[in-house]
Amino acid sequence: MNRGRGGLTAGVSLGAAVLALGFIGPLLYRADPYAIHPAHALQGPSLAFPLGTDELGRDGLALLLSGGQATLEVALPAALLAFATGLAYGLLAGLGPGWLDKILMRLLDVVLALPSLVVLIFFAAIVPLNNTSLVLLLGFIAWPGLARLVRNEVIAQRGRDFILAAQQSGAGVFYLARVHLLRVIAPVLVVNATFLVGDTIFALSALSFLGLGVQPPQVSWGSLMQSALDIIALAPWWLILPPGLLIFASLLAASLTGQGLLRRGRGR
Amino acid sequence: MIVLRRLLSSAVSIFILVTLVFFMAHLTPGGPAFSILGQKATPQSVAALNARLGLNTPLLAQYGIWWWHLLQGRLGYSYLLNRPVGALLWSYEVNTLVFYAVAISLSTVLAILLGLAQGVWHGRAPAKLIGAFQLGFYATPPFFTAAILVLVFAVGLHWLPASGIGNPRLAHPGLGSFAAHLVLPVVTVMLLTVPMLSRYFGEAVHEELGKDYVRTARAKGVGFTAILFRHVLRNALRPLVTMLGLSFPYIFTGGVIVESVFNYPGLGWLLWRSALSQDYPVLIAIVLLIGLLTVLGNLLADLVNGLLDPRANYE
Repeated sequence: MNRGRGGLTAGVSLGAAVLALGFIGPLLYRADPYAIHPAHALQGPSLAFPLGTDELGRDGLALLLSGGQATLEVALPAALLAFATGLAYGLLAGLGPGWLDKILMRLLDVVLALPSLVVLIFFAAIVPLNNTSLVLLLGFIAWPGLARLVRNEVIAQRGRDFILAAQQSGAGVFYLARVHLLRVIAPVLVVNATFLVGDTIFALSALSFLGLGVQPPQVSWGSLMQSALDIIALAPWWLILPPGLLIFASLLAASLTGQGLLRRGRGR
Repeated sequence: MIVLRRLLSSAVSIFILVTLVFFMAHLTPGGPAFSILGQKATPQSVAALNARLGLNTPLLAQYGIWWWHLLQGRLGYSYLLNRPVGALLWSYEVNTLVFYAVAISLSTVLAILLGLAQGVWHGRAPAKLIGAFQLGFYATPPFFTAAILVLVFAVGLHWLPASGIGNPRLAHPGLGSFAAHLVLPVVTVMLLTVPMLSRYFGEAVHEELGKDYVRTARAKGVGFTAILFRHVLRNALRPLVTMLGLSFPYIFTGGVIVESVFNYPGLGWLLWRSALSQDYPVLIAIVLLIGLLTVLGNLLADLVNGLLDPRANYE
């Protein structure tokens, strides 16, 4: 119990730190991420460039902060979109007629059987890539897990007395969902919203790493990893470690927070 | 009977999959004509190319033709390489299957060992250590793991090659070279899958150890090792096999990245390259193939479960 709380605190603080870095960082450290300093190309950390420079002589720290902002600006709205889609789909399946539930769940099984990154790559190849299309893309790929969960929760709650009582007194489907169900399944939703944020940050980073995410000249943590890996023979550790550690920190924060919330919910 | 029902259910999944992929490819804005013609696309040239590719017939007719061609194994021609897709995929598929066979079997063995240790020492130092390893690596994106491994073992220590599947300077690199090239990709996939699988398995072992039959066996004087390996292992393996089947999409997601980082010419790598060059027929074929492999993987997991525990057939 105590350990769960520690994990939750660590997760929330780590998440707050990552958010602060992405949104407040660029305001405090104002060096231009796109400015090129050929004389200082590919140098390790120094006083002038705290995180070194890349092969074009761009400021590593400025790139990292700008990349963080781009990553979060796409991943967070995408998580929100995925959350709304998954919730709507799950409610529809759980509260709708039986045949609809069967069809929707069967469809979900197949979608879940496909590796999400494969589907993402497929669409990323077809649609023109910009931050808006990426939000839509990630948002429409990340929801199936949540949809199934919501549907199962709704089915589990559906037979309970307070729902039956409400139905007996004439409550409509929307009233039921809004007043009774959402309140009961809120803890589950919060936990999974946290996991969704981790999922979209990972998916965006993976796509950007493959060159199919945030497009140049804009940078993101994933694309910074990619360009560092292109010149890995020169061992530019100062370009590889920071974006990698920040993606790691975001995923860890989401995972710790979600699991901490889950444990706290169970303890009650 | 149950096997038949599972087969039927897999067939339905495959039908939905094929339909889904068709509409995914045909209803998304953009489209092959634009990507082939690129910057020079004019409405006229797009229309002409669409007519040549058969993309101007009614959608349902295209859907019918798509099935007809699929059943004949005709997957179209790669735009980029102008080769039949079916033949093109074959060598990549073999590479991928070898890669995953090695990676998944090694992962499973290691996950079982770690999970057993975690279940037996539940709540004590060794289990906590394993727990920390699981949490840490579960959150590590595969491209980061891969980058660190390459940085240390290929660039720094020169112990292992960083990419490809054979030494390009040799005419016949041979099996030894192939194995050396497999090490880092396989370790990356293992660091991705073992945390998830072992954690799950560890909890199953812990749960089994608390059950009545274990107490009964101990009371009858059966040794702990015998209980662990003869009874608990077998019972705890069942959820692990299911988990393995279900986590195939997750493993493959990591695999695409790993194949791309290490330039390992498998399906994931080909998917990535054809996405960058918008080679639609190849893209579609790979998505289909991967979906098919996943459905078959799940089917296999179910059948193995039936063998491990006959009760599963009646659930």
